[in-house]
Amino acid sequence: MLSWSGHENDTEIDLAAVAEGGGAVGLPLGSELLRFASAAADPAADGAEIHTARHALVGVGGRAMMIDAAAVAANFHMMTRLADGTGARYPAPSVDAAASTIARMGAAEMVSRR
Amino acid sequence: MATSTVAIVDVRPDLTAAHSEAWQALGQPGTWWSGPQRLELAATARTAMTEPSPLAPWTAPSTIDGWLADDLAAPPHAHDAIYRVARHAGTLTESWYEGICGELTDLAYVELVGIACTVAAVVAFRHAAGLAPSELPSPVGGEPSRATPSNLVPAALNWVRVTSPADERAAVVQAFTSVPAEHQRLWNLADAQYIPDLEMVDPHWTRGTLSRPQMELVAARVSRLRECFY
Repeated sequence: MLSWSGHENDTEIDLAAVAEGGGAVGLPLGSELLRFASAAADPAADGAEIHTARHALVGVGGRAMMIDAAAVAANFHMMTRLADGTGARYPAPSVDAAASTIARMGAAEMVSRR
Repeated sequence: MATSTVAIVDVRPDLTAAHSEAWQALGQPGTWWSGPQRLELAATARTAMTEPSPLAPWTAPSTIDGWLADDLAAPPHAHDAIYRVARHAGTLTESWYEGICGELTDLAYVELVGIACTVAAVVAFRHAAGLAPSELPSPVGGEPSRATPSNLVPAALNWVRVTSPADERAAVVQAFTSVPAEHQRLWNLADAQYIPDLEMVDPHWTRGTLSRPQMELVAARVSRLRECFY
């Protein structure tokens, strides 16, 4: 979805930067959003990093943007558990067609690949 | 300079309503679990998500002396399952799923995953937004509805059964169709948290804050860190 939405918006996304959690993603506020999403991925972590990331995102995008980013992060906490809890998989042709994206995201060897 | 202090009044009303409805439902009778059972399982899911030193994926809470209470409303295997789904979902395998279905019914398992999904959404949102954790609601009495769709079939794209016709929708879209109440709740949350269903195909859709690619950046990073191939 990230590759597709970037393409449709005439924006080249650096998927490796997304996978690694650093570097120029190619989107406005990409660095702040990437840091915020990384911190939001682990609710068990020490609160210092999410506090700093939240403050930085609010500073450049405002509170409404930060709340919407938090909501998207929450959605993918939910959807990843839905997908992995129910054994969701893509049809094989779709996986084959996305091989390049899968490789750039470092996802080829994930245990959850079915 | 903008402040990063957030109060609940800053949150969109539709998002607050979706979270409140889903959270309150944790204490209400479900389709296969009672209100007290659902609450108990939600508490285990919340602990699994938030404890700094979690159990390993292969260690079930029921095997640790004192981890679970002695007077459980839900069976220990259900607590083991929701702990694994809530904390280590990326490690789940089909053989593990088949083992769980030997202890629970497959439809009770689907509802259990739905409980984990609700807890994950609300806990993760409040953590990210800087809001205080929510207290679990009070339990509501009553029996589970045991409402079962008459057209359940095996799926190629999921381990779990789905309503017919199978595999004509995305795997995540059909995943909860065997338990319609959880299916509806999940997609109500998704509409408010991410993108309304009818707008999903629009790569330019925005709420006025994040662009669609910015939303997908957050989605991709969280999914990557959660080791979710899907």
